[in-house]
Amino acid sequence: MKSRGVQIFPGFSSTRNEIVRHSLLLGGLLVLGVGLVLAATAAPSFSRQSATPQDPPSSMIPDVKCIIGLEDIKPGAKGTLASLPTGLEFTTGKKKAEIAISSIQDVFTGQDTKQDVGGMSGTLVKAAIPYGGGRVVSLFTHSVDVLTVEYVDSGGGFHGTIFVLPSSKAEAFKNQLVALGAKVSKHVDPLGPKEQKP
Amino acid sequence: MKTLGRSPIRAMFWLATVGAAFLVAASLLAKPATAGKPGPTTEQAQKLTASAIQLGRVEPPEDLLIPEDTRVSVYENVVLELTKTKKFQHIYRSGDRAAADVPDLIILTMIPEAFKAGSQKKREVTTVAGATSIKVKVQFTSREGKVLLEKDVEGKVRFYGENLRATYDLAKKVAALVNQSF
Repeated sequence: MKSRGVQIFPGFSSTRNEIVRHSLLLGGLLVLGVGLVLAATAAPSFSRQSATPQDPPSSMIPDVKCIIGLEDIKPGAKGTLASLPTGLEFTTGKKKAEIAISSIQDVFTGQDTKQDVGGMSGTLVKAAIPYGGGRVVSLFTHSVDVLTVEYVDSGGGFHGTIFVLPSSKAEAFKNQLVALGAKVSKHVDPLGPKEQKP
Repeated sequence: MKTLGRSPIRAMFWLATVGAAFLVAASLLAKPATAGKPGPTTEQAQKLTASAIQLGRVEPPEDLLIPEDTRVSVYENVVLELTKTKKFQHIYRSGDRAAADVPDLIILTMIPEAFKAGSQKKREVTTVAGATSIKVKVQFTSREGKVLLEKDVEGKVRFYGENLRATYDLAKKVAALVNQSF
């Protein structure tokens, strides 16, 4: 039958074979493409999962803002906060500040909200939107954690520093500092609602 | 009609010139007498002198609850603003052992009297509600505990800005008070 078919419609047979071959090739490419896409999307999550057990989740927290209180660090600087066996370390660009565990007097955590469009440029944008449109922009907020660390320097002078961390990171970080030996007293939360917190 | 001669015109010109000069001289003499004299004499009488200042911790009374970040922010902002005034050779923090040897040390204590937690969202959306404010009693005392100067200072953030900006406003006002008084 095969030879016959070839004989009767030689052109058709070769075209059909080509179509089959092409469709197989296309199908293969499609499967490969889909596989690649799936692999690409899955790879980061796998790597994240594999990295999680190695590093404790909040031993190094990126995107932390130091509001005030660290020597040689400009108020409002953004950087990475890390808990080391020796103490707490904040790194921003080339600058680094460290607070020794033994010098920490108290650690406080709290919650606050932060404007999605904030800062000087954000404020200017809000002010520039006509018909009070900037007020609508002000409605968009996200919650953040606030970590306050009180410590003393080598001369006994009291210092305090405030960090703004991504949401639900401060408590775990505080626990790590406590586990390392930082002093903490019992606290009373002065303000209930999140938004009320200054 | 008889036209005026040259001499009366010249006399009028001189009269006007002398009058103008007299008015200018009188205004120049009057300026320091009205603006300057009473100010410096009263201010100089109240001015305090000290080579160093020590900032005490911000401890609110038991019935006033203030978040820790606000207390710390007040303290640190005041340290920064005191440094900017350049009125003192040394600014010591609370507990600094080096302050014990300074003879003319002045101690700055801030006692919170009132605190209103606002909301940045409310402020920016309504423009009338949600202001954050903190009021403190600022005391300058000698090492012996004698109160040299006492004043209430209030820090506020009314419209744009995060809540902790009230502490920055307060620190600016404390620095202004230092500039006036030292």
